[in-house]
Amino acid sequence: MRNWWIRSERLRWLTLILVGLLGLWEISVWVTGVKSFILPAPSHISREFASAWGFFIGHAAYTTGTTLLGFAIAVVFGVAGAIGIVYSKVLNLLFSSLLVSLNSVPKVALAPLFVIWMGTGVEPKVAIVVMIAIFPIVIDAVMGLKSIDPDMLNLSRACRASAFKTLWKIRFPNALPSIFSGMKVGISFALVGAIVGEFVAGSTGLGYVILIAQGNFDTPRVFAALLLLGLIGTVLFYAVDLAESLCLPWHVSQRADQQANPVAALGLGTR
Amino acid sequence: MSPFIRISHVDKTYESRRSPVKALSDIDFDIAQGEFVSILGPSGCGKSTLLKCIAGLEPISGGRIEVAGIAVSQSPENLGIVFQRDVLLDWRTVLDNVLVVAELQGLDPRPLRARAIELLRSFGLGSFVDRYPWELSGGMRQRASICRALLLDPQLLLMDEPFGALDAMTRDELNVELRRTWTETRKTILFITHSVTEAVYLSDRIVVMSRNPGRIAEIIDVDLPAHRPLSTRGEPDFNRYTAHILWVFSSMGIIKGD
Repeated sequence: MRNWWIRSERLRWLTLILVGLLGLWEISVWVTGVKSFILPAPSHISREFASAWGFFIGHAAYTTGTTLLGFAIAVVFGVAGAIGIVYSKVLNLLFSSLLVSLNSVPKVALAPLFVIWMGTGVEPKVAIVVMIAIFPIVIDAVMGLKSIDPDMLNLSRACRASAFKTLWKIRFPNALPSIFSGMKVGISFALVGAIVGEFVAGSTGLGYVILIAQGNFDTPRVFAALLLLGLIGTVLFYAVDLAESLCLPWHVSQRADQQANPVAALGLGTR
Repeated sequence: MSPFIRISHVDKTYESRRSPVKALSDIDFDIAQGEFVSILGPSGCGKSTLLKCIAGLEPISGGRIEVAGIAVSQSPENLGIVFQRDVLLDWRTVLDNVLVVAELQGLDPRPLRARAIELLRSFGLGSFVDRYPWELSGGMRQRASICRALLLDPQLLLMDEPFGALDAMTRDELNVELRRTWTETRKTILFITHSVTEAVYLSDRIVVMSRNPGRIAEIIDVDLPAHRPLSTRGEPDFNRYTAHILWVFSSMGIIKGD
């Protein structure tokens, strides 16, 4: 169980560092006597959370639900769109130029428009999540579907395989690692989208909680919501990471005794 | 009896932006059923292109190719093909990689499992059936890809420099195994190579090609005993063939020696 040993060692260090930082924070607030509406101490934040945990869980569940729903739609449409782009000349021409320009529009700026179109319910939030999460998924899926050994396609043609069989048995599994790396970027974007949606309109979700608490200078509540968001984001990311390691046990990135490494997974650097 | 493969006056020109490139010029020969024919030539002589044309993977610009009496427009039915790179699918076990050709053709792979395992065993991969390609050496991977090509008992086996990327010893082993497979099954095999020794050791007939444009320089019948242990390569008869082929290449200016 070497893997577990490495993981538990990392976990031990992580806990140690976190506890140390929180302690430092608590002591500095206590020593400097900074007002709690500027920077509340960790103990204050946890008291805030404990006093209304049902309230926080309710709003967190709403935000998580919106994020997951939007993300699921983004994955389905993103992958389907990528297949369309790879297989259809027209779609390819249309999107290879359009995708770049569309992607350069700050999608957050479209949020107010979605509220005009869809009201203040869950729909505009899901739409913003889809809008923001779909781009990395489409781009990486197209890349994955296109980067295929031509001889793999030749093998398929020599077997007189149908276009669907070639897609399903060869192109798609070959693209899965790329699709997953797009999904990992997408899931983080999705949470951003949900919060933006809640900022713009509505009366539920952690984004709304933050906005209202800010209006009341209730900084402990802002911090409690932020910490929850951090937790949700982390859990969502590792959920996708887990799905990847379950789906792709054969891939280079999964072969060694490796544990999830968000830095490497996001392509931000190498270990 | 009409020949199994008839290649008559085949031309292949690649259109390019500057000027069209003539890859194959007036290729004309037949292959009989059950024959082992090698196409031997330097790189750039169009030998791989010719194989792709016969496999129906590249259109020809002129002439005609017939396999089993049918003009090739798409891949001929029941074709086995082996590429220089093994193109095994990383996400499938060795066994599932062999079975993939059945799945691609829309056949139920389950009844073929026993045959696939038997094939893998005969190529020394019996204990690697459930392993993934990355756990195998280069030679083992290429063996698996040969098993894949043989799964559906094809009447024609096309091999595009299958051992070109392997080390010399593995290559010798695979030459012996391929020769054995051919003696046992008498499949029609068209084998592309740039190794003179390999061509003489394996084939009944060698089509020697020259380049610029790719054309047939000479067709040589190899009249060696059917049973060929590796030691055949030391026999004087064997060396006569290799010496002759080298002479053909040097007379064309492809090999500059002395």
